[in-house]
Amino acid sequence: MASLSEEVLLVVKKVRQRKQDGTLYLMAERIAWGPEGKDRFTVSHLYSDIRCQKISPDGKAKIQLQLVLHTGDSTTFHFANESTALKDRDAAKELLQQLLPKFKKKANKELEEKNRMLQEDPVLFQLYKDLVVSQVISAEEFWANRLGGMNNGEPATCNKQEVGISGAFLADIRPQTDGCNGLRYNLTADIIESIFRTYPAVKQKYSENVPHNLTEKEFWTRFFQSHYFHRDRINTGSQDIFSECAKQDEKGLKSLVTQGVKNPLVDLLSLEDKTLDEGYGISKALPSTSNANKSVKESSNSAIIKRFNHHSAMVLAAGSRKGDVPTDQASETSSTDGNSRDSDFFQPPLKKVKLQEAIEYEDLQRENTPKTVALNLKKSDRYAHGPVPLQSQQYTTSQDIINSVGYIQQEMANYKPNLTRVLSSTTATSAIAALSPGGVLMQPVGQQSIHQMVPNDIQGELKHLYIAAGELLRHFWSCFPVNTPFLEEKVTKMKTNLERFQLTKLRPFQEKIQRQYLSANLTGHLEDMFQSAYNKFHIWQTRRMMRKT
Amino acid sequence: MASEDELNLLVIVVDVNPIWWGQQGQREPEFTLCKCLDAIMVMGNSHMAMTRTNRLAVIASHCQDSHFLYPSKTWKSGDSGGDEISSSRDGKYELLAVANNLIAEEIKNIMTKTEVTGNSTDTLMAGSLAKALCFGQEMKSRILVIKAADDCALQYMNFMNVIFAAQKQNILIDACVLDSDSGLLQQACDITGGLYLKIPQKVALAQYLLWVFLPDSEQRSQLVLPQPAHVDYRAACFCHRNLIEIGYVCSVCLSIFCNFSPICTTC
Repeated sequence: MASLSEEVLLVVKKVRQRKQDGTLYLMAERIAWGPEGKDRFTVSHLYSDIRCQKISPDGKAKIQLQLVLHTGDSTTFHFANESTALKDRDAAKELLQQLLPKFKKKANKELEEKNRMLQEDPVLFQLYKDLVVSQVISAEEFWANRLGGMNNGEPATCNKQEVGISGAFLADIRPQTDGCNGLRYNLTADIIESIFRTYPAVKQKYSENVPHNLTEKEFWTRFFQSHYFHRDRINTGSQDIFSECAKQDEKGLKSLVTQGVKNPLVDLLSLEDKTLDEGYGISKALPSTSNANKSVKESSNSAIIKRFNHHSAMVLAAGSRKGDVPTDQASETSSTDGNSRDSDFFQPPLKKVKLQEAIEYEDLQRENTPKTVALNLKKSDRYAHGPVPLQSQQYTTSQDIINSVGYIQQEMANYKPNLTRVLSSTTATSAIAALSPGGVLMQPVGQQSIHQMVPNDIQGELKHLYIAAGELLRHFWSCFPVNTPFLEEKVTKMKTNLERFQLTKLRPFQEKIQRQYLSANLTGHLEDMFQSAYNKFHIWQTRRMMRKT
Repeated sequence: MASEDELNLLVIVVDVNPIWWGQQGQREPEFTLCKCLDAIMVMGNSHMAMTRTNRLAVIASHCQDSHFLYPSKTWKSGDSGGDEISSSRDGKYELLAVANNLIAEEIKNIMTKTEVTGNSTDTLMAGSLAKALCFGQEMKSRILVIKAADDCALQYMNFMNVIFAAQKQNILIDACVLDSDSGLLQQACDITGGLYLKIPQKVALAQYLLWVFLPDSEQRSQLVLPQPAHVDYRAACFCHRNLIEIGYVCSVCLSIFCNFSPICTTC
């Protein structure tokens, strides 16, 4: 068989595809099928291309497995071996189930990341459209620089918040009547995960018993049947595998209660079911709910309350527990499920923290301003005049000053406002003439700024051109100095890209603005940039020729 | 349209540098400080006559200090002072008459008491602007500067601070320059969004004031007015005081040099 250098994980004979007999091979990275008697594979799919697999329902005559690819195509394999068809199909399905998730994440992640980047940044999207869609540069070159951070950043992106457990997950498994005196429980993977995270004892039982003693289905059936699950926890004897769990839970609950709450300001023991008077609650004197007075015959109320408290404690513990912590390892934080030790060591600091929190207010503290360094200036008079150019100052002699002051004092002493003679009509008209359009003070219209003369869509196109050209030129100039053959190739490629860009994008734009009679030279600078790039390339090329000869 | 209750304040800052005006009076007797003040009074009256919510303030910027010509403290303290002055004989709107009289009184007081020493011959423009800014706190205001004498380079820092403060408070600074162009005022007008105008004919000052500076900022967008000129924002290096386009800046004291030197001479 061709290219069997890959490791083959599973071979299934007598598998039909499109009505042809053949053999199915599952390799390390792909799944392939070849017709019987032939040497090569006609069908081969990488696991990363497969989106999901489907199997035909159990009751059907044909035992089939279907692979759906990302592109939407699907391939169906029919397991035709009379005796072992179901087993084969299931084996193939199991293997695929394990392998697919590994490959799926990698491929999807890259595509997802790219899509996300394009969606978030419209400028990038526009650049992508300009350069890649119009085939000026290839997609790999485009993504080469941008995805650099992505593969290294995987740990950073995996900092998603962990989803907590819903407190009602057990209640969500609503049993449905099966019609004939039975109950159906619908278990999804989420619910199973919640049960395992909340009750590690159950998980332990599961790993012990499945798949050695019981199948999954049987395990869950037993679980729901056991009175562990149900309200009344009456021990039915040790046949039930969950009776141990019940005992463990009791133990945990006890230790949880003895631990108490670490907060010195909270006193749980002072809470009791007290009755005020008749009519304000139960008047009968019931035994109090503190564990010190637990009677052997438990009333059903206290059992439910106990179950309820325990369940809440487990849910909270599962939320704060990160990953799998085996119960004999010491946990750092104070335990909330009662089954781990060492929490007593941390009691004093926690108490102190709580007390301090209660007596101090953060915003009443003195502000900690960062220490600053004073500025030492040697010539601070430079700041007095600032960065202003030296201007020739008019020098007035003291005699001038005295004269002027005397003059003005005389003048102002006799000042009387004469508002009817402020302006003569000739001066007024000359001033108005100067201020009217075309006058001395009104600048000629031709000096309007360029952005008022060029229409907005042309401005937008010019901006896109600049961005795209800038990208290409950046790739081009980053190749220098040309040290490796890879860079040589890249430089030549970039030069052809630049020429192509100039031809396909720049020239039509220039023609367009010429047609619209815009006299402004909008593309001069772009042309200059391209020209200097070509010059540099030419110089480099001649130098290379000279070196070779 | 601006709301009916909003007060609009116009602060006119007049440069009454006695040395410059004295020389000016000797140079061109047809345009003296009296004529300038008349034109300003016309402008102030027009502004107050436009709507009831317009307010006026006039500050005289002198070599030694800056005074409020209008409103003056003596007027605000009681109405008794106002009765003596305000008897207008020609049926003028009383507010305008009072204003004119007050301005005339005050400027006479200031100018007759002038004692100029040799070393302070520059107008205290930055101080006057600062006073104008402080005065116009509660209302929408704009400042009109009538500038006569040359810029004083020593006031640069204060000037720039005032300009940026005005920009923060959305106060326009307009400038009407009589004699020589002032880079500082050009910058001020550019930054705050006001108009800068150097008028070719001083005798027609009133006409220029009424045409260009009387409308406020909202109305200006509807009118055809002189376009703002390009402002030269180039800084001058600290060592030679030449205008430079690219230079070196010390990261500690932010002083600008044209040549690189490892030690900054300022700090």
